Amino acid sequence: MIASSRDSASDIGDTQSEQFRTVALLRFFLSNEFGLIVLVVIFAIIFSTLSPAFLSKFSLYALGRTSAVNIMIGFSMMVVILTGGLNLSVGAIGVSSAMFGGWLMQAFGLPWVPAVFGGLAMGAALGAINGIVIVQSGLHSFIITLATMSIFFGVMIFLTQADSYREISPEFAGFGRMKIQGVVSPLLLVTIGVAVLLSGLFRLTSLGREMLAAGANPQAAELSGIRVNRTITLCHMLSGVLAGIAGMMLVARTGAAIPSMAGQLGQDWLLPAFLGPVLGGTLLTGGRVSVLGTLLGSFLVTMLTSGLLLMQVGAFWIQTYLGLLLLTAVLIDLARRRYLQRRKLV
Amino acid sequence: MRGVFNAQGVLKTFPGVTALEDVSLTLTQGSIHALLGENGAGKSTLIKVMTGVYRPDAGSMTLAGAAYEPQNTHDAIAKGIGVVHQERNLIPRFSVAENIFLELMADQPLRRIDYPKLYRDARRWLDMLEIDADPATPVERLSVARMQLVEIAKALSLNSQILMLDEPTASLTPHETDTLFGILRRLRDDGVSLVFVSHKLEEVQEICDSVTVLRDGRNACESRPLEGLGRQDIVRLMIGRSEMIPDWSARDRTGDRPVLELSGVSTGIGHSNIDLSIHKGEIVGVYGLVGAGRSELAKAILGKFEVTAGDVMVDGRRADIRSVADAVGRYRIGYVSEDRKGEGLILIHSVLENVGIPIWRRLAKLGGFLTKGHVRKQTEPYIRKLEVRTPSLEQNVGNLSGGNQQKVSVAKWLAAEAKILIVDEPSIGIDIKTKAYLHELIRELSDAGTALLLITSDMPEMIALADRIVVMSDYRVMGEIVNNRDYRAMSEGIMGLIQDNEASAA
Repeated sequence: MIASSRDSASDIGDTQSEQFRTVALLRFFLSNEFGLIVLVVIFAIIFSTLSPAFLSKFSLYALGRTSAVNIMIGFSMMVVILTGGLNLSVGAIGVSSAMFGGWLMQAFGLPWVPAVFGGLAMGAALGAINGIVIVQSGLHSFIITLATMSIFFGVMIFLTQADSYREISPEFAGFGRMKIQGVVSPLLLVTIGVAVLLSGLFRLTSLGREMLAAGANPQAAELSGIRVNRTITLCHMLSGVLAGIAGMMLVARTGAAIPSMAGQLGQDWLLPAFLGPVLGGTLLTGGRVSVLGTLLGSFLVTMLTSGLLLMQVGAFWIQTYLGLLLLTAVLIDLARRRYLQRRKLV
Repeated sequence: MRGVFNAQGVLKTFPGVTALEDVSLTLTQGSIHALLGENGAGKSTLIKVMTGVYRPDAGSMTLAGAAYEPQNTHDAIAKGIGVVHQERNLIPRFSVAENIFLELMADQPLRRIDYPKLYRDARRWLDMLEIDADPATPVERLSVARMQLVEIAKALSLNSQILMLDEPTASLTPHETDTLFGILRRLRDDGVSLVFVSHKLEEVQEICDSVTVLRDGRNACESRPLEGLGRQDIVRLMIGRSEMIPDWSARDRTGDRPVLELSGVSTGIGHSNIDLSIHKGEIVGVYGLVGAGRSELAKAILGKFEVTAGDVMVDGRRADIRSVADAVGRYRIGYVSEDRKGEGLILIHSVLENVGIPIWRRLAKLGGFLTKGHVRKQTEPYIRKLEVRTPSLEQNVGNLSGGNQQKVSVAKWLAAEAKILIVDEPSIGIDIKTKAYLHELIRELSDAGTALLLITSDMPEMIALADRIVVMSDYRVMGEIVNNRDYRAMSEGIMGLIQDNEASAA
């Protein structure tokens, strides 16, 4: 049996395909995404048992709307983590984009569609600055984005004089408050749409594959003919656009562009930005992403936060629980990967 | 002689693969035991079982008469089994002494380190292995050969009674190898039991006393004396048939049109006035010692390093190569790197993803759309042609054996239909069968019209394959020889050109 399976190993996946299917099934049950789905279900049951308000229409609506933003923030970080880097300036870019969009609406009375595109263009431009400085200097993105976080935020505060833009197009604010079937926020649909597009990018386009290759091993990618610097810059631009979308979502939700909407320097975004991709199984060294995993990870975090709030757990405890969740998830993931490695399943 | 270590009927399976089945091995005190087999035959798995990385599914092991069941690598080290891995396992910025005693220092992390004592103790091991280095020197400043010796010192300092060496000579010069062998013989005479893993059969025959050969995860022979076994006997045990030495006749392809020409090329990293041409269907070899600037020249042709003077012509026209992407996409130049793991492959990605990289852009439809099916259709024939052994195209390249990894890096450029292929040290860490296969493939490619630039330090490989040999030294071309396949004349000619340079420099 052994001899035959070895001889046929060169016949890729013919005789072994059945065995491989079993392995693939096993691999799915051991996958991060499956683990996250199980956790989401378990916590949903716990919360709805302990607090019936959890399944109320209002609560579900709020959960969907908040997670829409958090997932988008997670995506924004994910597309930079896949290059093996970090983007600490996601919050600063998000707020700057939102303020720019708000300014376009208030100062020029622009309709919301062009104003939103203006905001996203600002996100892309700031992301491009990050990317260009990183690839040209050769320094780690940690240093560069730590600096640009302060620079972007500081310039934004200077230009806006820390004032909010409250004359937001009513259609846009209406969009943020709309309820489809009484429970679904259109913001969540936007996020799901973006998730589908991102999956498509990584599965169905040469650009997405190049991003992953450049992230996993830049030397090998370059010697195989990929323009690595350009690809990494594009990842940062994409991160900027996604941060811009998250920022514009917040504007739609609150009906105003407020400089402090993501805290000082946009730092309030950092925890959700990292939690989603890390729980979702994005490799911190780059080269591997899971769009679904990030979506589920960010959703789980948002659900935990709102569930704990419903149970009237103090806000400072929520931070502690989230920290514990991150640590536990990472440890479980480590055990899972060790198991797969030992059995040579990955 | 008594058996100091014994493994009996070891079985180790992974899903879809039986790595070892009914494998036995006996080591005697004071001997050097060769562990041979092709890539993927199970040598590494056996070593990992012996050192506690894997636990066997069946079978038993004894060490000095007692049952031996290591739970982890620490356990194995504590019981006196040490390994010197093929990959460096030293911390570059730490000193020689710190590296040698790393394990011991880690046992008592809070104790103040007594550096004078540490250096004295290290000195003892360095003297014993005749390593001419200060114990306080950071390891990164040592030559590769000395790093190797420091690793051996590290393993010995742990009182290893069994020392396994995985391809210890892979990066050593002949002289350094001789020194290492002297040390190994002395260790053997002191009663250490050594396991020697190597692809170089000449070395095995020179230094080993007994041999175990693995083939497809089973014993092809078990712990038999090496005496009386000839090279061909060993090869037959390893691959199940005799070695075929290709007897290709000399050819002259210079009459065909030149595909790649360099004239008076100087580069930003120090090459000066390089002249080189490759004709259609020709294999041009580049020989030189380590540091002669051969791989760097390849990368300059690819556009990774800047060409500061002179002309690069492809197909008779001046080529404007500003990046590797230009070289690959516009001029169809491919490069098989000597550093498979660092530069050649993306280990955490699948076989399919790796082979497809250079052609993604070419295959992509309007808007950059590209499905797995497209890539598969274009690449699978080449992956099959090269007989890459993998359970599926989705398998991560990092899980394949060295030979199969090399096949993947070559398949990549076949799929990309490279017109000019630069092959850098194609047979490093590759077993006999794969090596012979690659040689045939290279010859076949040239017959089909590909222009090949072959960089190799393996003289027999060079003389078997190249049509013309360009000799490089100090980032310059020393001269060129037409290869008439006469080994002695060729190697003398090559060494003569290199020595000319050294003489003129002195």
